[in-house]
Amino acid sequence: MARRWGVRLAEIVGVMLAVSCIVYLMLEVNADEVAVKVLGQFSTPEQRHLWLHENGYERPFLLRYLGWLWHFLWGDWGMSTHYREPVIDILPARLAHTGILACATLVVMIPASFLLGILAGMREGSLADRAISVFCILTTSVPEFASAVFLAAIFVFWLGLLPGASTMTEGFSLREIVLPVLVLALYATGYLARIVRASMVEVMTSAYVRTALMKGASPSRIVLRHALRNALIAPVTVIMLQVPWLLSGVIVTEVFFAYKGFGTLLYEAALNSDVAMIEACAMVSVVVVVATQLLSDLLYAWLNPRMRRAERPAPQGAGV
Amino acid sequence: MLGLRNNGGSRLHRGVAELADGLLQGRLDRREFLRSVSWLGVSAASASAFAASVLGAKEASAAVETPKRGGSLRFASVIQELSDPSTVAWIESSNLFRNSLEFLTRVDADNVTHPYLAESWEPSEDLKTWRFKLRQGITWSDGVPFTSADVAYTIKRWIAPDSKSSNKTSFASVQDVEIVGPHEVVLHLSRPMLALPQMLFAYTCPILPRDFDATGANWPKHPVGTGPYTMTHFAVGQGASFKRRADYWGTAPYLDEIHFIDLGADISAQVAALAAGQVDILYKLSIEQVDLVKRIPNAVLLTGSSAQTLCLRMQVDQKPFDDIRIRRAVQLSANNKQMLDLAYRGQGTVSQNDHVSPIQPEYFALPPMQRDVAQARALLKEAGYPDGIDIKLVLGNTQGRYEQDTAQVLQQNCREAGIRIALDVLPATEYWPIWNKVPFGVTYWAHRPLAVMTLDLAYRSGAAWNETHFNSPAFDAALDHASAILDPHERSKAMQAVEQILRDNAVMVQPYFPAPFTATAKNVHGYKLNPADYFDLFTVWLS
Repeated sequence: MARRWGVRLAEIVGVMLAVSCIVYLMLEVNADEVAVKVLGQFSTPEQRHLWLHENGYERPFLLRYLGWLWHFLWGDWGMSTHYREPVIDILPARLAHTGILACATLVVMIPASFLLGILAGMREGSLADRAISVFCILTTSVPEFASAVFLAAIFVFWLGLLPGASTMTEGFSLREIVLPVLVLALYATGYLARIVRASMVEVMTSAYVRTALMKGASPSRIVLRHALRNALIAPVTVIMLQVPWLLSGVIVTEVFFAYKGFGTLLYEAALNSDVAMIEACAMVSVVVVVATQLLSDLLYAWLNPRMRRAERPAPQGAGV
Repeated sequence: MLGLRNNGGSRLHRGVAELADGLLQGRLDRREFLRSVSWLGVSAASASAFAASVLGAKEASAAVETPKRGGSLRFASVIQELSDPSTVAWIESSNLFRNSLEFLTRVDADNVTHPYLAESWEPSEDLKTWRFKLRQGITWSDGVPFTSADVAYTIKRWIAPDSKSSNKTSFASVQDVEIVGPHEVVLHLSRPMLALPQMLFAYTCPILPRDFDATGANWPKHPVGTGPYTMTHFAVGQGASFKRRADYWGTAPYLDEIHFIDLGADISAQVAALAAGQVDILYKLSIEQVDLVKRIPNAVLLTGSSAQTLCLRMQVDQKPFDDIRIRRAVQLSANNKQMLDLAYRGQGTVSQNDHVSPIQPEYFALPPMQRDVAQARALLKEAGYPDGIDIKLVLGNTQGRYEQDTAQVLQQNCREAGIRIALDVLPATEYWPIWNKVPFGVTYWAHRPLAVMTLDLAYRSGAAWNETHFNSPAFDAALDHASAILDPHERSKAMQAVEQILRDNAVMVQPYFPAPFTATAKNVHGYKLNPADYFDLFTVWLS
């Protein structure tokens, strides 16, 4: 078991190193371009030369990369050229904002999709199943940029119920987060509900549920006690896959509602060629993706006892 | 002379008599007269009274509500970096520091120049030596008195050899800044510059404290100013806040606080925020949003006329545009009126590819250009492209989608002549770093009160923002000649040569001057759409 997790950890570190190397290679292989981006287009060749010299850009690429990685590990993420502040002073707050948005979305999305999925999957082909399926396909097939416009037209311009921009300039506002959460939840709920439904259908037609039914157990007991835990395995994996999407895939929604989160930060950094900021955002994304994968593995092992048994070392101690 | 006097009470410039004569004989209208004498240092109040006595008109006193003091206003605007106010490339940035930093002169929405930090100025007869008397008793927000040392420091910084400010070109004729007394400076020029007082209100010209470089040359970090507000918060991409100063030297503005909020580049978020009452004023609206704003019950739509424009310009030293026949073929194929009608819904004025707007005082109306596709074809053939030519037009929709729509109309126009234009549309922020580098691109030029200010920056040989690399001694000479003429009508006549040379060289298609739009909430009063987008909020109040 320990060995297995050790290998897993080594894999994770490997992935992170590989990504950091690719990111650095793509953004910084041409030192002159970096100087232009940092100093601006009106800088003179002498200024650029001086800057490159001061920042150690005459060293070989590999050394530069290692130096950057070392600084990065110690929290020196460089200076943002667009925001004119150290990256480390900006990024965590923005990440926290997106974290709030992501959590709120999960809080809405998980109960809603489980409810819909279970209702639909309990009796395959029923009226409830069909109605829910149509709803799910509809919401999943409308992309966020379309649903954002649609919802803003209804709730902001027509009904005048909700604010149209979610900048949160005067601190956290529950009203301002409603629309972005609704847009994200609407898109993801349908998909997750379909997965829950499929799992549910599979479990409900399995032999042990039939046995429980014949034994005379009540339908609620069968669903909650017997079926649900087994039906959870696939949806949990899907939820874990949604977490990275909620971090960097929400750019469209964040930009539309002017929500100052990680998505808009990455978007603005990319548009303004803010090299240090892009590097840091990319690294943070990698950490989040890898961490959620790890978490998903752990949850999967907890939910599925067969996994745990399979992991037990063979008596001879061979293999993983 | 009928009560006309200088702001400082000194002798009037000889040209004032000439201009007064023009007004008396009806050659000049009231606005032309006010604008011209204000450059020569005549006080606006005395000039106004003089004009009124001559024209028999009474100063219009519109029925106004009594302004209410206090309150905090929210202004939606992109927050760009503004470390060095003299090098900012964005008018948005200047609208932030305009609350704290002040200028030597102030130009109002009618283009009349008023005293500001300078209480009076006096040009020499040859318009080459300008004496500025500064207002006394002003202190910087850190308690240091404002003196001529601040002014000399600021102007010398613009024209220094290592200056990165666009002022370096605009004020290239300034040879020296002489400190005459604690509140008096003299500017020595190499050539006559009539509009100097007006140019000192350009958005890159705020007067900085003399220790600006010594304190780190980063204004938001050390926001010292002479103006009515002090900056209390600044974060690029997020927002900025200003608080009213109790010890301001001038008339106190109405608002207690101003908050600038960055709602991102997406204009739809801004309109949604206005509809929901989250902001009070939008910086700018694009034409696509106008219909939507008209339907918002609590919003007021503002419009006006401006000399802002799009230039679909070609670089004269880049292939294939180094051949004037190609450039002329593009210009002859273009249907400027169609571009205005289709891309901007006809809201503006058609232009004649000379970058001088009818609302600018020195405008000379050249005979309109006739579209001639057959001639364009002939020119192409002559230039060695009998089967047509493929060219690429790069643009960044920096002001909105209408830039692309305009380019698409040009694309259709040119196709008729065998010029096949491929459009390369970039995000605005990706376009800005290369706006003056691409051989064929679409550039948005902001309004400037005088055409010579734009022409000086954009088309003079070697000018900082000369994006076409246009290099014509004849044009430079004609521009110098026109810049030195006092009488607006004579100046307008001299502009004929300037405009003609520019148009004949076919460096661009400059199709139309789009009308500006913006919107405010209903409870905002006293907000005027400034043609140059130079907004000050000193007369704005909330009900």
